[in-house]
Amino acid sequence: MMQRITIDPITRLEGHGKIEIFLDEQGNVANAYFQIPELRGFEQFCVGRPAEEMPNITNRICGVCPEAHHMAATKALDMLYHVEPSPAVKKLRELFYMAFYCADHTTHFYALGGPDFVVGPDAPKAERNIFGVIHKVGVEIGRQVIAMRMRNHHVIQLMGGRRVHPVAGLPGGWSRALTDPERAEIEAIARQNVDFALFSLQLFQDVVLSNPVYKEMILSDAYMHRTYSMGMVDAQNRVNFYDGVIRVVDPNGNEWAKYHPRDYAQHIAERVEPWSYLKFPYLKQVGWKGFVDGPDSGIYCATPLSRLNVSDRMATPRAQEAFEAFYETLGSKRLPNGRYQPVHYRLATHWARLIELLFAAERMLELAMDPDILDPDVRPVVNTVPDEGIGCVEAPRGTLTHHYRTDARGILTKVNLIVGTTNNYAAMAMSIKKAAQALIRNGVVITDGLLNRIEMAFRNYDPCMSCATHALPGQMPLVVTVRDAEGRVVAHISRNEDV
Amino acid sequence: MTTRIIGLGNPLLTDDGVGVLTARAVQEALAAHPLPDVEVIEASVGGLRLMELMVGYRRVVLIDAWKDDSLPPGTVCRLNLSDLERRRPPQHLASAHDATLPTALAAGRRLGLDLPEDIVIFAVTVGNVIDFGETLTPAVLAAVPQAAAAVLAELRARSS
Repeated sequence: MMQRITIDPITRLEGHGKIEIFLDEQGNVANAYFQIPELRGFEQFCVGRPAEEMPNITNRICGVCPEAHHMAATKALDMLYHVEPSPAVKKLRELFYMAFYCADHTTHFYALGGPDFVVGPDAPKAERNIFGVIHKVGVEIGRQVIAMRMRNHHVIQLMGGRRVHPVAGLPGGWSRALTDPERAEIEAIARQNVDFALFSLQLFQDVVLSNPVYKEMILSDAYMHRTYSMGMVDAQNRVNFYDGVIRVVDPNGNEWAKYHPRDYAQHIAERVEPWSYLKFPYLKQVGWKGFVDGPDSGIYCATPLSRLNVSDRMATPRAQEAFEAFYETLGSKRLPNGRYQPVHYRLATHWARLIELLFAAERMLELAMDPDILDPDVRPVVNTVPDEGIGCVEAPRGTLTHHYRTDARGILTKVNLIVGTTNNYAAMAMSIKKAAQALIRNGVVITDGLLNRIEMAFRNYDPCMSCATHALPGQMPLVVTVRDAEGRVVAHISRNEDV
Repeated sequence: MTTRIIGLGNPLLTDDGVGVLTARAVQEALAAHPLPDVEVIEASVGGLRLMELMVGYRRVVLIDAWKDDSLPPGTVCRLNLSDLERRRPPQHLASAHDATLPTALAAGRRLGLDLPEDIVIFAVTVGNVIDFGETLTPAVLAAVPQAAAAVLAELRARSS
């Protein structure tokens, strides 16, 4: 009989989620399962509504990345209404989207993922947060983090029309053109963003890579999985967050597939497990082999790390320098196909995220200086008959796909979303298992640090539980319950004292 | 503006929208009987973003949904920040992606941001927050006028 350990992320939702770790008879980790609550009725909620409401409905399903949902929905409307956005519209949308990335990636590094390295993986919970980071790196850097967030939120509001939930996306268009003074303001903000991204990469070098303990942790087997990688690339196979084709490379770095987002259903299947409400996407043509990595398993990742892994290079110069330094430092060789061997150290995702931050900032600056960006003609008249639309962007947490069908009046008849986090669920379950294996051996559970090491394993994916289940975020306290072979509780660890 | 009222939550998720709907009721009441220097907004953010929405205000009133099974749905509670450290906070004050509200406020103050000392939270206990829908359940719907009245009483008591 297997022993069971339960790590229970209690949100204030009913039917809260759990991490369950099953031990074998020797007391070693046999399996790790990740469950989260299911919110009900999203598709039913949408069906029967006009499709053009979707950018403003789906941006409400997540309080963290409403911009990503708004953009995927808007792109789905482009296809649904058969209207190709003008170059100016695409550039306005991408400019808006880069401001979002600048704010979001900054927040993840300084408030969520970074504390593991900046404050330390074994620091007390009370210090392992943005306050602890400020204490460690200084008030001036803390001010810059908040300034980075606030100036990019200002751009999001200016271009998206609203403070939190943007409303600017239209089929084939964008409801608001830019004036030249606004453009100049955004250009100045983008320059500051580039400086901040470069600074953040230097900080990563100084605080993380220069520390042998952290470097060893990044390179350790405990945080490595050799899965397939997925990400969006442009026509030159460079990272792109807004538009392009989906590229998948195998664990050795060979291109496995490259397809238009509208063909996702030919490439992605969803595995249903009896123990979870979640569906686990996998590569259909590789097949589901269980929660294992390697070239025979269809499990893939869609993260900042995997986006770098699928790309030949970065589209902007400073990000390209950082990209090369990343692979050289982590020991990747260039393959005959010109790409670097993929990096599979999952904790390197934090570094990859900062390289993406630099790319987003540089791209934002390019777009702010593009002559097309002031084109006032951004609201095309749409008089086509809608039918089916698929829209795809890279959300910070992975490839995000919206798929709608409507009747000839544009009333929704079918809605399917594959949100960023969902792509990574199988990989996250594997990461949790590996982290647990390092601290649970032969029936001995090292309770100190178990919680944080497991959290570290999934924090680098920055899972959006709420998003994957179509809810809003909340605090996610953790409770670890360790059970022996008879199901008796032998240990109880809680992150929140009140639980 | 010196006072900001922030209705939190997702109005598409059944009872989760109670904070936003209460804020709208407060806004309507203020349209009929204005109070000086009071502004009402809606947001579905927590943690750092919520803290940033408070910068520059002297007083903030938060209205949020609260899942607490020890109280019947539709119970209106008045909380302050120290209550958050002692009991499970309402739905939207923390962000799973960055920080809790107390941590975000501590960080903001450490950075010298101009944050209000006066922060009050009106929490309404909820039933269903897992089904998509635009209608509150009856007990929670019935609590909206009461919650709005409590917010208005708070504003008027302290602005006089």
